Parts: sequence; C-alpha cells; structure tokens
Amino acid sequence: MFTLKGNRLPAADVKNIIFFVRPRLELMDIIAENVLSEDRRGPTRDFHILFVPRRSLLCEQRLKDLGVLGSFIHREEYSLDLIPFDGDLLSMESEGAFKECYLEGDQTSLYHAAKGLMTLQALYGTIPQIFGKGECARQVANMMIRMKREFTGSQNLIFPVFDNLLLLDRNVDLLTPLATQLTYEGLIDEIYGIQNSYVKLPPEKFAPKKQGDGGKDLPTEAKKLQLNSAEELYAEIRDKNFNAVGSVLSKKAKIISAAFEERHNAKTVGEIKQFVSQLPHMQAARGSLANHTSIAELIKDVTTSEDFFDKLTVEQEFMSGIDTDKVNNYIEDCIAQKHSLIKVLRLVCLQSVCNSGLKQKVLDYYKREILQTYGYEHILTLHNLEKAGLLKPQTGGRNNYPTIRKTLRLWMDDVNEQNPTDISYVYSGYAPLSVRLAQLLSRPGWRSIEEVLRILPGPHFEERQPLPTGLQKKRQPGENRVTLIFFLGGVTFAEIAALRFLSQLEDGGTEYVIATTKLMNGTSWIEALMEKPF
Amino acid sequence: MDCYTANWNPLGDSAFYRKYELYSMDWDLKEELRDCLVAAAPYGGPIALLRNPWRKEKAASVRPVLDIYSASGMPLASLLWKSGPVVSLGWSAEEELLCVQEDGAVLVYGLHGDFRRHFSMGNEVLQNRVLDARIFHTEFGSGVAILTGAHRFTLSANVGDLKLRRMPEVPGLQSAPSCWTTLCQDRVAHILLAVGPDLYLLDHAACSSVTPPGLAPGVSSFLQMAVSFTYRHLALFTDTGYIWMGTASLKEKLCEFNCNIRAPPKQMVCTHEFLHEVPAASEEIFKIASMAPGALLLEAQKEYEKESQKADEYLREIQELGQLTQAVQQCIEAAGHEHQPDMQKSLLRAASFGKCFLDRFPPDSFVHMCQDLRVLNAVRDYHIGIPLTYSQYKQLTIQVLLDRLVLRRLYPLAIQICEYLRLPEVQGVSRILAHWACYKVQQKDVSDEDVARAINQKLGDTPGVSYSDIAARAYGCGRTELAIKLLEYEPRSGEQVPLLLKMKRSKLALSKAIESGDTDLVFTVLLHLKNELNRGDFFMTLRNQPMALSLYRQFCKHQELETLKDLYNQDDNHQELGSFHIRASYAAEERIEGRVAALQTAADAFYKAKNEFAAKATEDQMRLLRLQRRLEDELGGEFLDLSLHDTVTTLILGGHNKRAEQLARDFRIPDKRLWWLKLTALADLEDWEELEKFSKSKKSPIGYLPFVEICMKQHNKYEAKKYASRVGPEQKVKALLLVGDVAQAADVAIEHRSEAELSLVLSHCTGATDGATADKIQRARAQAQKNV
Repeated sequence: MFTLKGNRLPAADVKNIIFFVRPRLELMDIIAENVLSEDRRGPTRDFHILFVPRRSLLCEQRLKDLGVLGSFIHREEYSLDLIPFDGDLLSMESEGAFKECYLEGDQTSLYHAAKGLMTLQALYGTIPQIFGKGECARQVANMMIRMKREFTGSQNLIFPVFDNLLLLDRNVDLLTPLATQLTYEGLIDEIYGIQNSYVKLPPEKFAPKKQGDGGKDLPTEAKKLQLNSAEELYAEIRDKNFNAVGSVLSKKAKIISAAFEERHNAKTVGEIKQFVSQLPHMQAARGSLANHTSIAELIKDVTTSEDFFDKLTVEQEFMSGIDTDKVNNYIEDCIAQKHSLIKVLRLVCLQSVCNSGLKQKVLDYYKREILQTYGYEHILTLHNLEKAGLLKPQTGGRNNYPTIRKTLRLWMDDVNEQNPTDISYVYSGYAPLSVRLAQLLSRPGWRSIEEVLRILPGPHFEERQPLPTGLQKKRQPGENRVTLIFFLGGVTFAEIAALRFLSQLEDGGTEYVIATTKLMNGTSWIEALMEKPF
Repeated sequence: MDCYTANWNPLGDSAFYRKYELYSMDWDLKEELRDCLVAAAPYGGPIALLRNPWRKEKAASVRPVLDIYSASGMPLASLLWKSGPVVSLGWSAEEELLCVQEDGAVLVYGLHGDFRRHFSMGNEVLQNRVLDARIFHTEFGSGVAILTGAHRFTLSANVGDLKLRRMPEVPGLQSAPSCWTTLCQDRVAHILLAVGPDLYLLDHAACSSVTPPGLAPGVSSFLQMAVSFTYRHLALFTDTGYIWMGTASLKEKLCEFNCNIRAPPKQMVCTHEFLHEVPAASEEIFKIASMAPGALLLEAQKEYEKESQKADEYLREIQELGQLTQAVQQCIEAAGHEHQPDMQKSLLRAASFGKCFLDRFPPDSFVHMCQDLRVLNAVRDYHIGIPLTYSQYKQLTIQVLLDRLVLRRLYPLAIQICEYLRLPEVQGVSRILAHWACYKVQQKDVSDEDVARAINQKLGDTPGVSYSDIAARAYGCGRTELAIKLLEYEPRSGEQVPLLLKMKRSKLALSKAIESGDTDLVFTVLLHLKNELNRGDFFMTLRNQPMALSLYRQFCKHQELETLKDLYNQDDNHQELGSFHIRASYAAEERIEGRVAALQTAADAFYKAKNEFAAKATEDQMRLLRLQRRLEDELGGEFLDLSLHDTVTTLILGGHNKRAEQLARDFRIPDKRLWWLKLTALADLEDWEELEKFSKSKKSPIGYLPFVEICMKQHNKYEAKKYASRVGPEQKVKALLLVGDVAQAADVAIEHRSEAELSLVLSHCTGATDGATADKIQRARAQAQKNV
C-alpha cells in the first residue's frame, strides 16, 4: 500500500495495481502520470481503479482525455461514505466539506452524506423523524426524501434503531469550534492533532524507565498511540474536563498497584493461578495508565503556561460577552509578537462571532495588522473567512449574540468540572451551541426557542418518514430514544463529549449517535479555509 | 378411454413412440402445403408459410404471401412479400423469422410480421446466389448455413453476433450435393453432405470423408438426411429405400431398416401432430399388463373410487414391496407428460391417494407439478397455441415462457401466471408491465398525453419498472415528447439525464441533474452543454442555475482559469475578480512590474466592489513591492514577498535603523507593534546598548515587562534587572519573580495586599533559600485574615 504520488510508481514485484482514490480531478492527473510512466518499462501490469465513495463520470472523462482510461481493467466504486470511528461515532473524513459547502457552493459532500444516511437506513431501518437546522441540512433532507422515492418497492422491513435524525449545519454554530476544547481528548487534539484516531506525541516522556539506563539514548521517533473507547481507561477519561483527569489517574494508579500487591496474599496454588490469569489484563491496564499519565503531563505543561491562561481568559471573556466590541489587547500583542497566524485568526473570528460581527473600524484594524505582520497574501484567507461568515462587519448595528447566549444558556458561571451537571463543563463554562440545540430539541422541543432559531442562519424544519404499522415502536417506560445527530461541516471532540454526557444522564431520555463530515478542531478548520497563493 | 396405448408404436425392442393430435388447425389454407415454404419454430412456436415463393411474375395478385400462424393455426400476421425470391425460412431461438433470399440477404421479421432488420451473408453468396439454406440452432443461438451456386458453403453460427465463415471446398464437387445438413459438435458447427455414395464432413479447417459404420452395401446415393434436435442422432435415407440410423458422430449404428420407397419426399413437415418417445414413467404405468408400482397405484385409486376392496389389495401389494414412494413419484412424473387434463388429473389423483399412506412425503414435487401443469394447460390452450411438453417447459424455464407470451402480446395471461406462481414483482409482473408499456408507446394513433397517462395508471410506482427504459423505447419510435412525459415519472435522475441528453434536451437534463443533488451528474451535463451551446448561450444557461454555476466555477478554477475570469466578469463579481488577479499576481507573473500591474487590476476591481479596505491594502502592497525591489538593489539581500513587519525587522537586523523608521512611518505601523518589533529585533541582535537607548526614547506604550521577559529569554539577567525596576506596579511582582528576586517580590505583594500575588510568590519559593520569605508571606496572610 502506497500513497498516491506523481511520476513513477514505487518499484514492487506485482502484477495488479489498484488505485483507491477520491473522485477528484487533480488525482486523476497523478494517476495518469503513474500509468503513463509505467508503460514505458518492465513487465506489463494490470491496473484497476476504485473510487471512494463513488464513481465519477467527470473523472473517467478526464482519464479518457489523458489517454489512460483503457488501461484500467476494472473501474468500480467503493461506497465507503461513513467510516465508523467508535461505537457511537461515524465520520466521512471529508476535509474539504465545509469549504466546499459554504464557500464554493459545491454540494458533493452533502450528496455523499445523504447516500451514507440511506445506507445507514438500509441497515438500521428507516428513521421516522428528521429534524434539521441550516441550509445544508435542508438540502440533505431533500436528497434523502428524493432517494427514498428512487427505492420505492424495496420496502425496508428492518425495525428502526434510530428514532430521530437531527441534521445540523456547522454554520449554525460557528462559535464552538473556535473555542479551545478543555476535555482530555479535546486538548490532545488541540495540542497534538488526532489523525484518524491516532496521535503522534513527543517521545521523551515515553522513554522506558530502566535502571542503569542513564537516559542516554532517548527515542527520537514520535510516539504513535491509538485513541478509542476500546481502551478502558481512555473511555473513562476522554470526555472529562482535563481538570478532572488527574484525580482519576491517581485513583487508578492506587487500584492497580493494590492489585499487583495482591500477589503477596496469594498463598495457595489456586490463588496464584488466579492471580496469574489476571496478569495480562493488569499489565495492559498499567501500560495504559503509564501512557495517559505521560500524555496528561505533556498537556499540563501547556495548560499551566501563562500564555494558555491568557488566551483562555480572552476566549471566556468573549463568550460571556465581555468587551467584544473593541480591539483586544491580547490579540494585538499576539500579532505584534507574531504568534501563529491560526491562533490569531481563531481569536479574531471568535470575537467576531460573539459580537455578531465586528465594528467596521475594529475589523479593518485587525485585518490591516494581520496583513502588515503576516503578509499581504493572507488577504485571500481573510476573504474566505468573511465568505464563510466567520469574520464579518456588524450589520444593522445590532448584536444578537447576547440574546442567543441568554436564551440557550450558553454561558454557565457555576460550572462543575469534576462532577458536571451540565454540558458547559466541556469548555469550562461555555455550553456548545450545537449540543444545546440538540438538548432542547429532545426536551422541551424547538418550539420553545423559535425566536433564537430565527436569528440563527438557515431554515429549521421537521420531516416525517411514515413507517408500516408493524415497524412502529412501542416504547417501554423509561426506554431512551436514540437520536442520530449529523454535523454537516465537522464536529469537535468537545461537542462529542457533551453529547455523550447527555446520553449518560439518567433522566436524559435520549441517547446520541454522532455522524459528521469530518472530525475537526478550530485549528484544522481555519487551516482548511486558508489560501496560500505561493 | 378405450385403449390408452393405441397410439403407441414400438421402436426397436425397448422404446415406444406415440403420436397424438394437438390441435385441429384453424387455418384456412387455399394452397397445398407442398406449394409453400413452411417453417415451424421449435418449442411449440409459431408457424410461417410463404405462399407462391417460386412465382417469378410481378403481378400483385400472384405475389408471394407470408403468413404467420400460432402453433394452433391462429393467424398472427399476413403480408405481401415485396422483396426478392426466398429460398428458405426458419425461426430463430428468439422466435424471429429468418427469410433467406436468393441474393444472400436475410430478412428478419417478428412474430407479428413486423420487419426487424436484415443482414447479408456476404459478397461471395451475393455473386453465386443461394442454392439452398438451412436455419439451425446451437447453444449459442440460431445460425444460418448457405449452399451457394458455386457449391460452396457459408455459415454463421449465431445471427445475433454475425460472423460469416466460408467453409473449405469439397474436392471434385461439380454439382449440388444430393443432400446436406448442419451438425453441431463440440460447440462447433459442421456440415455433413452427401455426394452420390460418399459422405463428407466439413469443418472450418478441412473437408474429410466419412463412412457410417455398418452401412448396408449397394448404396449408390444418399437422398435425404435428418439430424435430431439435439444433434445426437442422425438418419440417412438412400436410393435403395434403406434407412440408416445412428449417432451423429458416425461412430455407432443404432438401427437400420428398409422401407422400399425410393423417391425422397419433397419436404417433410410435421405441424399439428405430435410425435415423441414415450417417457419412461408413462411407459412403466401404461404398458400393457404392467406391474410397475405406479401402474398398481393408478389401479388402486380407480378401485377405491369404485369403493371396491381391491383398492386395498393393490395398495398392500405395493406396500409389501416397499415401493409406495416410487409409485407416487411415478404417477406425478407421468402426469407431467400427459397432454389431456383428464389423464393428468387421474394420475395426480392416484399420486395424492398414495401420498395418504406415506409418512412425510415431501409435498414440493406434487405441488409444483400441479402448478406447472396449470401453466402448461393454459398456454397449450387453443387460443394461445403454445403446445409445450413438460420437458420442454423445464428446459425453456418460466422466464423464457413469459418472454414468449410477452412477444405474443399476451400480457394479461403472463401477469396471471406471474401472480399464480407468486413470482417476485421485479422478475414477474413489473417486467411484463414494462413490456406492455413499451408496446403501448408504439401505438401511434394514441396521443402522447393518453399513452403517458395510461402507462402511469397501470404502472404507478410498481417496483422494478424503469420508466426511462420505456421512454427510451418511445424515443426510439420517434416520440420525443412522449419520452419526456414518461421520464417525468422516472424517480431516478441518474436514469433520466442520459436519455434527456440523447434527446438533446440538455437544459431539462441540467435541471433534473441539479434536482438530484448528484454533482457528478451535473458536471456531466455541463460538459455536454459546453460542447453543444455557444459560449454566450452556455453562460446564460449557467446564470439561471446557481448550483451549476458554482460547480462550473470550481471546475474552471482547476482547469480553465481564463473562463473563470469571464464568468466573474459576466456576473460583475468584482470582489472575486479582485481575488482572481491577486492569485494571478503570485502565480503567473515573474517580473515585478507584471506583478504590480496585476495588483493594480485587482485594486481597481476592489474599488468597483466597494471594498475600500482591500483596494487600499492592495495599493499598499504595490508600494511595498516596489520598495522591496529598491531595497534589494541598494542594500542586497532578500526583501521581496516579506511582510511589511518582516521587512522592517530585516532592516533593523541589518543595522538600517533610519530606513526602518522611515518605512514604519510611511506605512503607519501602530506604535505598540513597532515597539514590540524593535524590542524583539534588538534583543535578537543582543544590542543591549541600543535597546536601552530605545527604551528611554519615550515612555513605552507596551510597558516594561516585555523588556524584562525578552532579556530573560536571552539569558541576560543583568539587563533584565534594569528594566524590572521600571515595570509598573501591576506587573511588578511578575517582573521581580522573572529576574529571580523572590524577596523583593514578596515585599511588593505584601504591600499590594493581593492574595493572588502572594500565592504566586509563594509558589516560586524554593525550600532552602527562600524559607524566610515564605514565612514572611504566611505571616502577612495570617495578618490579612485577621483584618477581615
């Protein structure tokens, strides 16, 4: 397995070569280059191409124009729309989805999302109710209804697993991803970036502590760890506020060492045998604890730094509505000291969103500062951010954010990080807007927040997909509803944590399964919107 | 029933043949059959008759007439033959009539006399004319073999996939062979021909002489030969009236006999009588004095109906031999081979009777036989006229039988059969309805609206019905409007779009593609439209379809930048035009003047877009670019494409402070940032003297804590301490801690009475050295507590 690159294919003694590609024109050019340079030398090979998730006439035409279409023995599609990441999490991992949908008017990823939802329904039953908020949500719902008509006749006779589907546009809640996530998993992602459920960490903290080693040869290669709920400890701490992780880790450490101490009590052969049988599990738990202790130390180094504290303070001020309408000193200093541009952009966008747009003077000041400091070419990035609505001048001189904040209770002063009672723990005070919408939908219903829904962009709607009587659910008292919530344009780990928190609430009444176009954070999001002309 | 075996004839010692009349033919023939060319299709298929085929006169009254009848003689079609003289007729496996003309052209007609197509058997055949022709069937389809006037053979083994093969020459063949036939062995078609007493086998490579084993002597000529339907058996008729029968491979003789008739029949046709070997099961049961279990069971059942105790005797006899299961099976099987419903019933009744005395006899065979016989009886009906045997039906499969009913336009019967057999809709009813609709669209006398409505009423949303297929058929008949109406009912856009494109309704195709949300489909239509329309019309079409427009823009961004510019121009999208020219200034232009020019265009566009900020920023950038070029010329080094901030920094690092100041003034860098900039640059240079001078130039707009921080970053505590004293009270503690003066920090914190500052200092206290300080803080805290 190789990654797609131009020129010649890597040497390998094989007869068949299969290209797995997204149907994008640029990639076709690379493939054509591969195939053409291949033909000139050596034994002939058989080429096959598999488009993920769908075949594209446009791409095939491109291959034809480049004169290589005939070289492919098989041209098929691998309809992998939604990739399972965890028991309750699916992602299309389509990086460009937000930019395509909101900047370029290209709905390809929405079409794939709708197709993915149809597949999901084919497997888990027709979802009787669809709710949505936002322009893209509306489009996806329309496509689903249309696709359902295309399948008339093949009646789906599967008992529905999901009660509701909630489609949410990312641009309904531009705020949440801009704020720094404060859950354990969210911080790992913010600081090191989780890619396809793997994270690469600086190796120093993971050096094996052997006696007499003297720490001579520290490993230089990044430590790569897989992060998902299959790991018991990670499942327990991933969604906690980082401030609550330390106590769990020390408690675990005590339990594990106590378990190892048990060996002294094992007297009879039977007892020893039982102890030994538990060893692999205990050793795995100890390894897992060691890893997460190291990660927590790494994160703590960052979170206890003065700059992290200052940044968080500014973010929290903005989100709670303090001084959002003037040039912020901290941001100014960050620019003057040439902190990372993405960090600056995240903060400026956050301020803009929390103020329903910036005063023209303030906006122009920030923009000018950014262009003078980081370079004029970033004017294209600024244009993109403006087009996406992340950065904008306040129109009508009215700031709607306070209304939204108060109605949806987005800022909670009395947050309990250790034993949370509200989703706001994931940002130590800020309750993610998107998740609040989901929470209010399940109880007491969106009718209670009509006014705010009208302020937020795009239509909100409800569609029903009638089920044959035999498949209608008779709910047992106390049985939870299951809602599939689909974030069009990406979702953060903190939002996922908040939804899992709601699922686990005893009187919550709703369990969530989460799907998205991309798992992302503010940094990867802004990065995808940046444009570098050289 | 007088005597069931009355129509049985023995063949050899071990087999019987029987013959019975299927239908008394309904046709009204004026000519004798011998004056006609006749072709009957296998598997109870239709019969074609060409009357007067050999008349050469052109008078209309005596022109040849082609009649097509069902197997029961119901007329299906009749047409005047207007083409050339026909040599031979035959039916293909798809029930298409192949008419081989003298000139080698083969005309293909449907069951209803509808002309389908024609093809030629090649130039050689055209030149030498057709002397004789045969239609034959192989597992690949139906073939045509031609004997030309030059006594050469040409054949095609499958008319569906026409590949002509000219067979090798037969040595010394001067006149037509006395008789010939096609054989099919090992999946290859051969020709067997007789020239006087000699037999030759022609394959595509060679001609070989063959001799049938055990042939009686004295044969001077073979007059006729016949091969069985399966190509397994062959019969040869000689001029001595002797018939040889054996395997078609000519390796084994089966039998021979002398019939004392010397003249060969002109043409042998068997249409309304049915001759076949008596199947084993029937033979077992009905053979005179048969004691087979099936025969006994049939007897037992008859006695049972007569309420005679003999029934019990017979039954016991079978049971004692343990053959009851076999008896039931025999009766079921024999019923299948019966043509008369009465006989079928009595055999099935016997089977059902026998079944009662058996535990757990699997019911499937009985149930299926009843179903199959009902279907068979229905299609054998005189009005339908498809006299299939049970074996033929099994070979043909229900799907093919349904196809044949559809071909005869017997849609209601086909649907009834589907419903009776409970076939899945997609294979059954839907398919038939779709065929019906395809036939319906060909009815030219009905208006488009009526046809579309009628079809939709019948088909509705029946699963598996493809409206686009029906529309394609309508389009094929030249009814474009009807096709478009039908496509409206098609829910799958992927199916609508290609046909609409084919019908040159590209704009409609575009809106359908957009409706589907399938962007790939939209792209496909767009590229089609782009080639079909002129540029202006194409752009206008796009303008009305925002989704298509944005997709096309994306396409142009990667593929056709110039077109992208035109699109923005058309929409007066000056903002995007501005961005476009900015990109161009980086990508396309190398020379500084070229870049500046591109930026000027961008700035103009921004002014038009009323984006004052972007326009000004762009003009600043033009100024900066020119300036950077000048700096490179005058000072050397690299300045181009640095940001303004970095340009000033580079100047300071290079010691060009004056120029740096000038630049900062020209571009109005805010004071605060300029201080940060200078501070950072001077510290990088470790020019402490200049830094101190700078710090004293005026009151710092950023305070003095940054000075402390940056000195400490460069590990210069000495310099840091200088600035720490100048830090304002709010940040004093922080500054003192930075330079490591914990004691003084504690004093300040105590003075400030700030709990936060106190704990900050305390956290910096290290055990040994700062013990006293820590105590001091604790005391201050306790004091503060008391005061509260």
